[in-house]
Amino acid sequence: MIRVLFFGPVAEQVPAREMQLPFSAGMKLQDVVAELSARHPQAFEFVSFTAVNQTQVRDLQLPLADGDEIAFMAKFSGG
Amino acid sequence: MSEPVRIQEEDFSQEAEIAELKASSKRIGGIATFVGCARDFSEGRAVSEISFEAYGSMALAEMRKLRDEAIEKFALLEARIVHRVATVTAGDNIVFIAAAAEHRAAAFDACRWMIDELKQRVPIWKKEITPLGESWVTPHP
Repeated sequence: MIRVLFFGPVAEQVPAREMQLPFSAGMKLQDVVAELSARHPQAFEFVSFTAVNQTQVRDLQLPLADGDEIAFMAKFSGG
Repeated sequence: MSEPVRIQEEDFSQEAEIAELKASSKRIGGIATFVGCARDFSEGRAVSEISFEAYGSMALAEMRKLRDEAIEKFALLEARIVHRVATVTAGDNIVFIAAAAEHRAAAFDACRWMIDELKQRVPIWKKEITPLGESWVTPHP
């Protein structure tokens, strides 16, 4: 399974903080982005950063592994 | 000794943080600090509360990296970063940053650099609660 996390305004739009997606061999980050942005277009308008296993990634072709954790995040506003 | 980098719900004590910095080295000649606190007014609206949300594991890892980078970049003797994730009201503390160095210039520069980088890099979000409703904050420069 792939664990997907949403935070802040993104979570509010989904609306959920977490969901699980079935993992399939050859799966890439792009596949998850395509599926979830089609299901939750308003939430993805807020997405500015994506992290896989707590590391920010920009390459949507990144191959995923079973058990990966993906986070979709709006611009940060801490401090 | 408390951890030099923390995310916590409860308030922090600047005096306690500074005491721990001072205890870490007798070579410290200056400590620069930044305290971020909650305002009661933002974007022309009264703000009653601010609530914070964090991607805890990533935020903590990024804050630790940030501290390490600051120590390396500015040749600091020690540095501390504490961020609250809680619901706060006007005047409450939000974030504490401190840089300890042999001389003031490095301490000031590092302190400014750490809070600027934290705002850019650490996955924490704030929501302002006003009498008219709630809204997530758009980052300021």
